[in-house]
Amino acid sequence: MDPYEIEFIGENRIVSIIPNFSHDKIFLICGEFGPFRAGLPMNVPLWLGVMLKQKQKCRIVPPDWMDIEVLENIKEEEKRSRFFTKMPNEHYMVEAKLILGAAAEDIPRASEIKTIIKDIWDIRMSKLRTSMDALMKSGGNYGRLDHLTMMEINSVKPLLPEAMDELHRIKMMARKTMPASLNNSTFSQTGGSQNI
Amino acid sequence: MGNQSNYLSISDILVTNEKVPCKFLHDLPKMGFLDPASTEDDLKTGTNVEIPLWLAESLYSRRPPLVSVDLPKIYKEAYREILNADACTVDLHKLGQHFYELGCYIAKHDIKGEVGNTLVNTFRQRFRMILSASASTDSISALQPLSDTERERTAGAASTEKALSTWLKRGDCPLSTANMVASHRKRKRAEMEML
Repeated sequence: MDPYEIEFIGENRIVSIIPNFSHDKIFLICGEFGPFRAGLPMNVPLWLGVMLKQKQKCRIVPPDWMDIEVLENIKEEEKRSRFFTKMPNEHYMVEAKLILGAAAEDIPRASEIKTIIKDIWDIRMSKLRTSMDALMKSGGNYGRLDHLTMMEINSVKPLLPEAMDELHRIKMMARKTMPASLNNSTFSQTGGSQNI
Repeated sequence: MGNQSNYLSISDILVTNEKVPCKFLHDLPKMGFLDPASTEDDLKTGTNVEIPLWLAESLYSRRPPLVSVDLPKIYKEAYREILNADACTVDLHKLGQHFYELGCYIAKHDIKGEVGNTLVNTFRQRFRMILSASASTDSISALQPLSDTERERTAGAASTEKALSTWLKRGDCPLSTANMVASHRKRKRAEMEML
């Protein structure tokens, strides 16, 4: 999948905004939002929030996790743990990118947050690569992808699933020395009985 | 590599077109042309000829078998030892473009039954090479020792990698490491001083 498609999926996350205009409820495919009251916080999908922000119609309220201290803790935790830790948000990368892109001035210490999120991402990505290699080497038959976000899982496709498939095929064919007949059915019987 | 599923697969056809060394177990009249070194019309018992795998398989599967299939050199003991010791040093592009696929076909002709394990081990060890080749900037030298399917897999991984990095770089707020930070040699220490 393309990262933009994941961004699109992530854009459906709900964020909190403070509009500076008043408007009735609006009806969208993903639900109804509103009514908009100037100065009163409300929830809208991320894409709508970003769009309104670009038109200077609202302020975006930073999500709870978009905070230096929270992120520092996550980063430390991520560094310490051998496994992946739970992220505050399934689409943290998408949200961070869009919100920090469109509404950096609404977020306190935006540039520091940007750096730290990038650090967390880098730590997780390098962990992902090492654990992929370890999985292959150790001969595990499955990998646990707990707490990986969609964007991260996507980054190992198609390599990891294909490699696992191939490995399984080789094992099936080679271990049992199953007959790999070309197009000859009698062959499969004779070949099988000879080698078992 | 399945039985019927690959009947129309071009890569499978290419794999089964690879030559394998065979020994003929019977005299074959009028088949002398199979052996380029022979001048006679008939093929004698005991001649060693390299023939394509598809032909070898069908001759082998006759009752009684007309040929005995030998292992190509990359699957032989000497190479198996190298592969088991460190598969990453072997240039599979040179030695066996279809190493895994051909190996699956050939495994049943191995009396000791060790080819299967070698294939699995080699695949496991060489996964790291695919991983680093897909991220490497010097892609030509990294790709060089990879076999055909390994190259395909690397290309797939590299395009994912590229899509991801364009996504990260695009937009009003590229989430990338700042130039200054990246070029800063003592980043760790700088961080500690900040705290």
